[in-house]
Amino acid sequence: MALRTRLTTINPERTILLRGAVRPGILVEEAEAFFSPLPNDVFVLRWIGLGVDLDLGSTMVAEQCEIVYQTCGTQSFGGLDRGRSLSEMDEELAAMLQPFHTPKLNYTTTPPIAMLTQAFWDEPGFGPIAIQRDRLSRTANVTVYSYQEQGE
Amino acid sequence: MAANWFSAPAPVARRVRGYFAPVNRTAQTPVLFDPSEQGGFSLDAPPAPWISLGWIQEFARKPGSKTAPVLTGIPAATLSQVRETLEVQVSFQFLSWTKLTMALATGSQHMNLLAPATGAAPAAIGALAAPAVTVQSGSTATSILLASADAAKFSAGSIVALDVDYTGQTGFVGSPVSGAFVRSALTDVDYIRRVTFNVALVSQVTSTGLALAEALPGGAPETGAKLQALTGFVDREGGSFYQEWSALFVMEGGQGERVFFHYPRLQSMASAEEAAISLDGKHKTNLNRVTLKGQFLALPVTDPLDGERVVCYRSFLPAANALV
Repeated sequence: MALRTRLTTINPERTILLRGAVRPGILVEEAEAFFSPLPNDVFVLRWIGLGVDLDLGSTMVAEQCEIVYQTCGTQSFGGLDRGRSLSEMDEELAAMLQPFHTPKLNYTTTPPIAMLTQAFWDEPGFGPIAIQRDRLSRTANVTVYSYQEQGE
Repeated sequence: MAANWFSAPAPVARRVRGYFAPVNRTAQTPVLFDPSEQGGFSLDAPPAPWISLGWIQEFARKPGSKTAPVLTGIPAATLSQVRETLEVQVSFQFLSWTKLTMALATGSQHMNLLAPATGAAPAAIGALAAPAVTVQSGSTATSILLASADAAKFSAGSIVALDVDYTGQTGFVGSPVSGAFVRSALTDVDYIRRVTFNVALVSQVTSTGLALAEALPGGAPETGAKLQALTGFVDREGGSFYQEWSALFVMEGGQGERVFFHYPRLQSMASAEEAAISLDGKHKTNLNRVTLKGQFLALPVTDPLDGERVVCYRSFLPAANALV
């Protein structure tokens, strides 16, 4: 949610029509209906890895987040701007991830409740561009850390 | 009822940030940092007179203080300990090359390469400089007022040095940062501007003066200050001058907690040295980032609280809601 809020500031034009609503162009894959193929010009987050450190005052949880995004460029340029479009998404992702922390919120209640700690992460690792016909895609990886609080 | 505290593990910090402030060498007065009043400052906007030198890497503190046991009895056993020597060294690498980082990372005085006068004979420290222009009253740390003919001598993108003429004084020179110690009177009228830290980039030139891209470290120019263009910087291996600054290093943890290392007096102790770090650690390439290596010796101050002599203050501001 923090990245979603940041994206609306960085590029309010990046949106997606999803379940009848226009939303910022970032989503968590597991929280939506199955996509095939993935939507273009949108950041798709996947939680793919998990680690815990129990030897601390508060248990630390490390979750690996994979962020996939792809583009075919714009129709107005006949897709010839797909490289630039992907670069724009690279820059938006790098900007979204700063600052490298956000308050931890409990979304099991409505409205969400602010918790006591912060989730934090390091710089993203950008993978190479994958080319499939006229579609360029990239995967970035970020490890997100947080502390388990009492009651979690 | 939900708990309103948590047990915070050791801080997880990404990098270390460095800030420096000039020691008044003549009065031997360092700049003190008060974490209780100033600890919450924005890392991008430190409180005056601290100057941010950005992120640093390979920050290491090497304690060298020695203690000795006081023995008593047969067989001898330690009754108590005494501190024989007080010494701490600090080392790190600057990730940028600026006037200040270069000066801090050299073991001697650091000079500005003043723009040379036409036809001047070459000199390793910079040729005879083109004449300085007089700064007019009303100038500020970011706006320098000049006569229109003088302003026309500069252009946007120039680097300028601003300080008073050298008039034969000895001792520490340069204000507010002492750039050198003069043992016996010299003849170069531009000497103070050669060693001054009052340098900045010109962002705009108008008929009335210069707008600077960054504030002069010394603040508004003092009466009698003059301005000269410079082309770069130079330092020398050798010499007898030691840079001395107050230093502050900050580690910010993932929970917002902060660790401060405050050295009221830090003197450079090693000769100028660089480190080459490959831009691509996985693949062997010829591209290296050249960082400035700095090694410093912490000098003591007397804490007015109890008269103890100390070289460093380490402060910790816990994260909100963390057990202490």
